[in-house]
Amino acid sequence: VSETLLDAILEPGGLSVVFQPIFEISPEGRRVYAYEGLVRGPRGTNMESANILFDYVRRKREEPRVDRACAELALREAARLPAEARVNVNVHASTLGRDPEFLVFLGDTADVNGIAPERLTVEIVEHAPPWDGPTFLGALSALRSIGASVALDDVGLGQSNFRMILECRPDYFKVDPFFAAGVHADYHRQAVFESVAQLARRFGGRVVAEGVESEADLAALVRLEVDLVQGHLLSPARPLAALVEDAVPGRPAPAAAAGAA
Amino acid sequence: MSRPGTTAPRVLIVDDEEPVLLMAAEYFQLYGCAVDCARELEEAQALLSYKRYELVIADLRLTGFGGVEGLTIIDDIRERCPWTRIILWTAYGTPEVEQEARRRGVDAFLLKPQPLPRVVQIGFGLLGLQTPAPQVGRPERAS
Repeated sequence: VSETLLDAILEPGGLSVVFQPIFEISPEGRRVYAYEGLVRGPRGTNMESANILFDYVRRKREEPRVDRACAELALREAARLPAEARVNVNVHASTLGRDPEFLVFLGDTADVNGIAPERLTVEIVEHAPPWDGPTFLGALSALRSIGASVALDDVGLGQSNFRMILECRPDYFKVDPFFAAGVHADYHRQAVFESVAQLARRFGGRVVAEGVESEADLAALVRLEVDLVQGHLLSPARPLAALVEDAVPGRPAPAAAAGAA
Repeated sequence: MSRPGTTAPRVLIVDDEEPVLLMAAEYFQLYGCAVDCARELEEAQALLSYKRYELVIADLRLTGFGGVEGLTIIDDIRERCPWTRIILWTAYGTPEVEQEARRRGVDAFLLKPQPLPRVVQIGFGLLGLQTPAPQVGRPERAS
């Protein structure tokens, strides 16, 4: 019997993972660029919602323990992807700042599951500074030294601000879904994407637009030179078994995926 | 965000005593409410961050001896959603605790144990609604 909710979350089978592809848009078509592992809490509980799960975990200050469990689960599942597929896992900045052994754990777990570091992107999420800055920055540096990439999640909102951009020097700027919603008809949202795209180029990074849900918004983003996109329009988050058929990077996105809700 | 009375009232019940929690949840569901349950302060806070409730019923102590987590819940709600009605119930009520709870904005302060029909009646009263007849069974589906 689980003593606390956290025990229930961390016990075997408590967490599950789905994957949402990130697509690269080019004149040749839409191709799967990477797969982001998205963890859900125990089914039938309040924690099934990722927002509520991670809000609870942050309030408990248990990000390192839960991030380890989430990364282990996502990488174990991702082992079933084709050998060249890129994999994104979400990690709190506070975990990197508080758990000096996390990267060793992550590297070992990726290795055990046959995922080369070059295929791995760590998506940094953060909601409440402060964290241990030197440990955090050291972790980012170590990540890059093994060949992994760094993405900054939720760019434009909350703690994913200019300071965080400066500190992370992300390879990928994942712009919060708030900005893609209706971008085709919103001059100011377009200005935001133009600005982030220019910033990303100066940092040697790329922009990923999250939450793309209409062809009109997708077309507008492409015009704004945002060529990495993620959202229900192209594919919702699904169990890996449902995605694995389409798992070969470079394979054009199946027509059936377009418009899926 | 809907106002009270426009849909089935959304109710959050917070209590660390599982039997009390489940019984109260079942009771409010019987009266047509959409009920969420939380056993810990942080679980309640996470729910309150992402969902809105017309009525919250919170125990004062969620961590055993001496806790006053229920007061923290009142503060969280009053910060975000002034129109949410709050009932604080406790087996450890004192005039001082009641005074503090009222100062923070609680709408009703009840001592445990309480008959659940009375808690339901007070809850609906706070929402400005008539207490409906209990739904003793699921409505039959139209064929």
